[in-house]
Amino acid sequence: MMLDIKNLHVHYGGIHALKGVDIQVEEGKIITIIGSNGAGKSTLLNALSGVIKCSEGTIEFLGQPLPRKPNRIVSAGISQVPEGRLIFVNLSVEENLRMGAFLRNDKAAIEEDFAKVYEIFPRLLERKDQIAGTLSGGEQQMLAMGRGLMSDPRLILLDEPSLGLAPMLVNTIFDVILDFKALGKTILLVEQNAYKALSIADYAYVLEQGKIVMEGDAPMVAKNPDIQQAYLGKRRT
Amino acid sequence: MEKFIQFLINGIAIGSIYALMTVGYSLVYSIMNFSNFAHGGVIMLGSYFGFFAITILKAPFWLAALIAMTGTTLLAVVIERLAYDPLRRRQAPSLYYIISAMGISIFLENIVLATLGADFRNYPPLFQTSGFYIGGISIGKLDVLILVVGTISLFGLMWLIEKTKIGLAIRATSFNLRAANLMGVNTEFVIFVVFGLGGLLAGLAGVMYGLRYTVWPQMGLITNKAFVAAVFGGLGSLPGAIVGAISLGIIEAMATGYISSNLRDLIAFVLLVTILVVRPSGIMGKATEDKA
Repeated sequence: MMLDIKNLHVHYGGIHALKGVDIQVEEGKIITIIGSNGAGKSTLLNALSGVIKCSEGTIEFLGQPLPRKPNRIVSAGISQVPEGRLIFVNLSVEENLRMGAFLRNDKAAIEEDFAKVYEIFPRLLERKDQIAGTLSGGEQQMLAMGRGLMSDPRLILLDEPSLGLAPMLVNTIFDVILDFKALGKTILLVEQNAYKALSIADYAYVLEQGKIVMEGDAPMVAKNPDIQQAYLGKRRT
Repeated sequence: MEKFIQFLINGIAIGSIYALMTVGYSLVYSIMNFSNFAHGGVIMLGSYFGFFAITILKAPFWLAALIAMTGTTLLAVVIERLAYDPLRRRQAPSLYYIISAMGISIFLENIVLATLGADFRNYPPLFQTSGFYIGGISIGKLDVLILVVGTISLFGLMWLIEKTKIGLAIRATSFNLRAANLMGVNTEFVIFVVFGLGGLLAGLAGVMYGLRYTVWPQMGLITNKAFVAAVFGGLGSLPGAIVGAISLGIIEAMATGYISSNLRDLIAFVLLVTILVVRPSGIMGKATEDKA
């Protein structure tokens, strides 16, 4: 198992946000976590990235205990594309990507990854010298995802990548997630758009009020009547 | 006209000392979003370090500056560890940082008052022997030295910020600390570097200010001018801090030359209030959030 989370508890902002979560991520797969606002999805990803402390439980990554500091976690091979993109608005597109590769020193391989990112997102190549704050919302999401690729991660954590985007762009973003998978990356995807997330994922977890209430192969979860009613907007017949 | 050029050169010289003070102040603001009022105390101690290096150790200018800069860099970093790091661990709001900064500032001032007394001390005249004459304009050797050293240091700093990897990390952290963290930037280290850089330039500024004027325990109050310059240029913007500081130096020199030196500080603070009313984000400021 690439990532093995056992009995994870997190207290955040005075709230017991995660109450004993168990999640397994298999290498090369897309794993999605669906759930409503405030279920603890972002808290989980931030705990994995080391920016929020865990109060109990164990996390193993590639058979080793996950380091605690965010920079060590990035070096270990986990990158996060945060909710709301959090790009560096006053830096150029290229400098933003360079920040993604901040901990790497292998110049030749970094250049190759620049080429990969520009191949997936030709729009970013056109705008590489532009200040990132001037990009459109969709382009900023692309930049955030490209930046997430630049650390050459084994596992990419995607936090609500489709949030606030027009339907056409949402499709583009989900195609990109499949491109990432084709590059051999493992993906842990947190989404409110459960329908799209379940359509590309291999395995799914449903998080409600800090607890996993259901898990299974994505198509199975998508067929579950409770899930259809709660997250997919279908009525019980 | 000659008088004007004379005042202008004086203004740029004193402005470049202000710039050395302001950049340290502005860098800390850009990363941590609070006004580091302890910076004045660091400058004051830098000035004393230089003074004693010259009077007791008989050090030449460059060695005195080096000793002062080493001392202030260490001091700035220690202040960060003792006064701000514990607040950061508790995720305290920026008001707490300002209170802590004021406490450190009062502490430094009083420790000097208690040990060295309240006297004004004059640096030995290292550079005042003669000046250069071009046309009818005389430029003191000290002003030339201040201009050269100031310009080199400020360009060095700009190079570091714009062209190096740690500079990129500093810029990224100032725009979004959390995102920089997620990229693997050790933001603790960035904060350490920023305080160190601020301290380094504070030491240099302290020695040059002491050489041009004098040293006294309350001289940390001149950071109020660094604050004015930083607000004028736009808090958090490095080029803004430099432009703001040099403009302030020129305005003060003109006010002193054409009106009266008594009005110098009055004009500086009228300027601050005017800017806050007319253009709160300054010449090149990043945003108009609260200026704490």
